Amino acid sequence: MLTAETPIISFQGVSKKYPPNHLVMSDVNLEIEKGELVFLTGQSGAGKTTLLRLLFRAELPTSGKIIVDGMDLSSLSRSQVPYLRRKIGVIFQDFKLLSNKSVFENVALSLEVLGLRKEQVKKRVCQVLEGVGLGHKMHQYPPQLSGGEQQRVSIARAVVNRPPIILADEPTGNLDKLRTAEVMLLMHELNARGATILFATHDERLYQDSPGRVLRLESGKVEVVS
Amino acid sequence: MTLNILFRRAFSDIKQNAGTQTVTTIVVTLSLLIFVFFSFLYFNLERFVGHFGRELGIVVYLKKDLAPDRIPAVFATLQKMEGVKSVTYVSPEEAYYRLESYLKDEVNILDGVEPGFLPPSFELEIDRALFQLTRIKELAEKIARWPEVDKVQYGQEWLHRLEAFSHLTKMVVAAGGVLLLLSAVFVVASTIKLTVYARQEELEILRLVGATNSFIQGPFLIEALLQGLIGSSLAVGIIYAMYTYTKPMLAGSQLLRGLDYQFLPYTFWAPVIGVTTLACIVGTLFSMRRFLKL
Ligand SMILES: Nc1ncnc2c1ncn2[C@@H]1O[C@H](COP(=O)(O)OP(=O)(O)OP(=O)(O)O)[C@@H](O)[C@H]1O
Ligand SMILES: [Mg+2]
Repeated sequence: MLTAETPIISFQGVSKKYPPNHLVMSDVNLEIEKGELVFLTGQSGAGKTTLLRLLFRAELPTSGKIIVDGMDLSSLSRSQVPYLRRKIGVIFQDFKLLSNKSVFENVALSLEVLGLRKEQVKKRVCQVLEGVGLGHKMHQYPPQLSGGEQQRVSIARAVVNRPPIILADEPTGNLDKLRTAEVMLLMHELNARGATILFATHDERLYQDSPGRVLRLESGKVEVVS
Repeated sequence: MTLNILFRRAFSDIKQNAGTQTVTTIVVTLSLLIFVFFSFLYFNLERFVGHFGRELGIVVYLKKDLAPDRIPAVFATLQKMEGVKSVTYVSPEEAYYRLESYLKDEVNILDGVEPGFLPPSFELEIDRALFQLTRIKELAEKIARWPEVDKVQYGQEWLHRLEAFSHLTKMVVAAGGVLLLLSAVFVVASTIKLTVYARQEELEILRLVGATNSFIQGPFLIEALLQGLIGSSLAVGIIYAMYTYTKPMLAGSQLLRGLDYQFLPYTFWAPVIGVTTLACIVGTLFSMRRFLKL
């Protein structure tokens, strides 16, 4: 049966080795169902970012097979990569904002690549920026924002096109308690609306009282915590 | 993606990177300026030399004491020479008459001079195909060695020097032109590469949010097109301005009277602009390629 049971993300015997000889993942098998909220923990350097990067094909596995929403990433042609990435909203650990573009423009990027009309882009970007509490800073530039504000811009850009999959790499790393709670609420909301979320963090308080599976990356293996 | 969005992105890009855009455009202009300048110089020198050369024939003065019955033989030999298009005999009387009309008001200088004092001569018209000055020189020297001939005149020393200079410019433009053009291409390519490198992060981020390569390349290519077009047009424009500025000065010069000093024909500068623009676009495509792979 290939219906609702088909996992949206699947790792089959995936190993990842960085040159010259640094094995970050070895023979990882993992399945994530559509609509799941999964926390990914592990020490710094355990390979959380690497696992996420494999999913949007910023890295290729050394061996094994990765399937995302029916697409086999190892056989995906280069021209198909943009279409994979449009399905995945990524909140980067290092934000990856363009400092010469305004907050508005940074977030709008995700919609412009889809070819949306100017008015539509404007409406949705404003809406999302209000949602992360940055409506009033729309026309500022990232270097003028605090770390936490930049992080929220990065979140806004990842979710503005309502992707079915969200990869969040330490999205609350620079946020205070209140903002962290807001971001968690936003994630739960998006999850409730059907988004599959993979959330990398080493802050255990974030998942202690939260629904969802918790996986731990350790010595190249993925262990199920809860 | 509509063209409208593409151009909007390109122009907001240009606004945001006005500095680098200007630098690239100026680099294009400066690189081409040397090439266009030498081409312009050569183009006019060639016309100049050609102009004088065409008016230039060979005048063969015969010995004054030459027996008149030898003249037809010389005439026939001259006519058969390679490169000689026509031969005109100028008798001493004819020469005297010409001198008279040339002197006009001062004709009394000739008072008491008998009409036959001028030597008989032949005027040779040289075949255009064989026009080259060096050939004329060879021809003239050969004729000068004949026993019947007193003196051969064929233009001035300075024409030779001019031609040597014209040859030099031709070398610079033809052989060196390739070099100039290559170095221009190299400089422009490096500048484009640096611009693309400077915006490497932007390329990466665009890729990460799911932009297709054509979406990313579009504005860059429009920018390259504008840089090439504006940069090379400026180079041509500057030389044109120089031309219009110097034209009245040269018009006053006695030496250059009758010579039409001209700007490069559009069949030259239009392809220069076109090729430069194309080179900028291709260079940008190549520089971007490696950043669009991930
Ligand atoms: N491009 C790379 N080239 C070589 N080694 C890399 C590269 N990226 C990551 N690594 C190595 O792989 C290991 C895992 O890195 P990764 O960034 O995935 O860790 P992480 O779990 O996200 O850590 P953190 O919690 O600090 O963000 C690290 O030891 C790192 O040095
Ligand atoms: Mg990380």
